[in-house]
Amino acid sequence: MKPPGWAQLVLWAVAGENEAEFVMGDLHEEFLLLCADRGRSAGSRWYVRQVFRSAATLLGLRFRSGEAAHLLAAALVAVAMPLLLLDRLWSFVYSHIPLKDGLDRAPGFWAANVVCVCACAALCGSLAHSLPRAAGVALAAAVGAACALWCSTATAPVFYAGLAILAGPASSMAVFAWRRSR
Amino acid sequence: MAKGEALGEFEYLVILAVVRLGANAYGMRVRQEIAERTGRDVTIGAVYATLERLTDKGLLAASMSDPTPERGGRAKRSFTLTRAGMEAANRARQDLVNMLDGLRFPLPGRTP
Repeated sequence: MKPPGWAQLVLWAVAGENEAEFVMGDLHEEFLLLCADRGRSAGSRWYVRQVFRSAATLLGLRFRSGEAAHLLAAALVAVAMPLLLLDRLWSFVYSHIPLKDGLDRAPGFWAANVVCVCACAALCGSLAHSLPRAAGVALAAAVGAACALWCSTATAPVFYAGLAILAGPASSMAVFAWRRSR
Repeated sequence: MAKGEALGEFEYLVILAVVRLGANAYGMRVRQEIAERTGRDVTIGAVYATLERLTDKGLLAASMSDPTPERGGRAKRSFTLTRAGMEAANRARQDLVNMLDGLRFPLPGRTP
């Protein structure tokens, strides 16, 4: 019997390399006891509640160890900066096309941004050497993309915003999984 | 005593749980011990943050054990009290005894 996989992934992302192994082991042990005592669904509910109630504290612990700060800085530089530079480039391009300045951007521009996010996040994911770090990179890539969207000069369509925030972490984890499988 | 040396309330509970559990003091057992004895809904994150802080202060010492199947193949980190930890626990108890001296309990008012 295993705890919910997505909750474990969240725990990997927030707990960091130093703590994840031990925290997950402890939660797994208690999860099995609870499943035997009260059933699997109760055990899963308890596990998810523990993960979400511990997330902020564990993330704080990761920041104190310096690991989260490095990841966040890397994601900001690797994901947010290229996105912001692209945004400025598109603004410049639009400002030089007659009658286009101030209009909504064509889908091709947004698609180029998403490709850029995926490529940058995938590059970060390929450099991660452990699952906690890869999950942290994925989380940081999402934060980086969100920051870039926040600072963007153009109003982003909701679909694009969702895609930019989710595609980065997905490509980062996919590249990490692919590298590990080899 | 310098600022930061005194034990916080939750730190004291964690140290007492470690003393009670002896060689079996690790995150999950410490969490259960505090939850069972105080009725608090303690999270594993809070326990780990406190264990980490106490280890940094030199009040606890950590040791690792081999991975086991019941932990999903993961290792365990156990904690023991150091000499400085024992002194801090004794001092905290003495502080509490001194402060309680002469007071009569329960104090008037509602108790939860």
